[in-house]
Amino acid sequence: MRTLVFIPAWNEADSVASVIAGVREYMPEADVLVVDDGSTDETAARAGEAGAVVASLPFNEGLGAALQTGYLYALREGYDFCAHLDADGQHPPDEVARLLEEVRADRADLVIGSRYREPGEAKSDDYRPTLSRRIGTSVFRFALTLATRQRFTDTTSGMRAANRRVMALFSENYSPDFAEIESLQLAVRQGLRVEEVPVRMLERVGGSSFLTPLRSAFFIFKGMIVLLVGQFRPRKAGTEQ
Amino acid sequence: MRALLPLAAEGDPTVHLTSQTRILAAVIAIVFMLMILELIRRDRLQERYSVVWFVAGLGMLAGAAFPGLLGIVADAMGVRDTNVALFSVILLLLLGLALNFSVIMSRQSAQITRLAQERALEKAREQAKSAENGGEPERERL
Repeated sequence: MRTLVFIPAWNEADSVASVIAGVREYMPEADVLVVDDGSTDETAARAGEAGAVVASLPFNEGLGAALQTGYLYALREGYDFCAHLDADGQHPPDEVARLLEEVRADRADLVIGSRYREPGEAKSDDYRPTLSRRIGTSVFRFALTLATRQRFTDTTSGMRAANRRVMALFSENYSPDFAEIESLQLAVRQGLRVEEVPVRMLERVGGSSFLTPLRSAFFIFKGMIVLLVGQFRPRKAGTEQ
Repeated sequence: MRALLPLAAEGDPTVHLTSQTRILAAVIAIVFMLMILELIRRDRLQERYSVVWFVAGLGMLAGAAFPGLLGIVADAMGVRDTNVALFSVILLLLLGLALNFSVIMSRQSAQITRLAQERALEKAREQAKSAENGGEPERERL
């Protein structure tokens, strides 16, 4: 049983090495791939020094394309399971290991790490979202729940674990610019078992969120269109290779 | 100066174009098509994307040669003013063309993305393979 952990990274030279070290510590059995999404800084070099295999996209293609590159690699190199986490240090590797346990135990095809816990369980170093993100989160949560008839709390989480069925699906059908939400809708529509597991997330180590209020509004609007169109997409059969 | 303004008289369905306007339209259409030919000759435009422009140029030429055509189109649309008919047709054509370009762009951007991914994967695979074989320094010792 081979496992790949991949890390999409765009200009994350400050944090990528420590993330790789964390993954190797908590998941020593897994191979580590960094998908360098056209970084203009030292991301690729730092990742290579830290012992990861690096797949460098020649130019910035966006998170969706970077994630798809990871799924493609996992599928083609014959990995049984894969997981991915962000390169900015928000995702604790030990939590990723927990997600992997879920797919290894075959309790789900795709497992999402949700940053939202039950109230009262919050800790001081927990993730604290900004207002515009909270609005976006609740809009997406509502729309996705409506679209999939399954309850999701963290629709934009970039911490996931998956098996080969998901790799086959995502390496062919993955929206380049609306990765997280559309992929959940797609997976549920294809009859895959998607499960959400509450996890601990941290404040980012380096970099800053790309979301300004205006961008958030645009992001939400685009997301609604994507979800609406996704509802009318034909269910493709035979995505398994 | 009144003759230069070929406005359709109210209630009059026939088209009034002065010969001046018709010659000007014909010249523009011909120059336009010559430009397309030149762009193809210089490899700045591919033949498959030029067809639609030639059709547009020919349409312009036909409109200049047979002004009655415009009246027929206007009649078919149920529009009294031929100018409105003309602008509506052109607007719709341009809209269709712009949409067509968006479709082409989407396809090409998907192709570029896949190309970039394939290249990245190729290199990653090479790196993983050389690491399996003991890495670069090991091979030098052999």
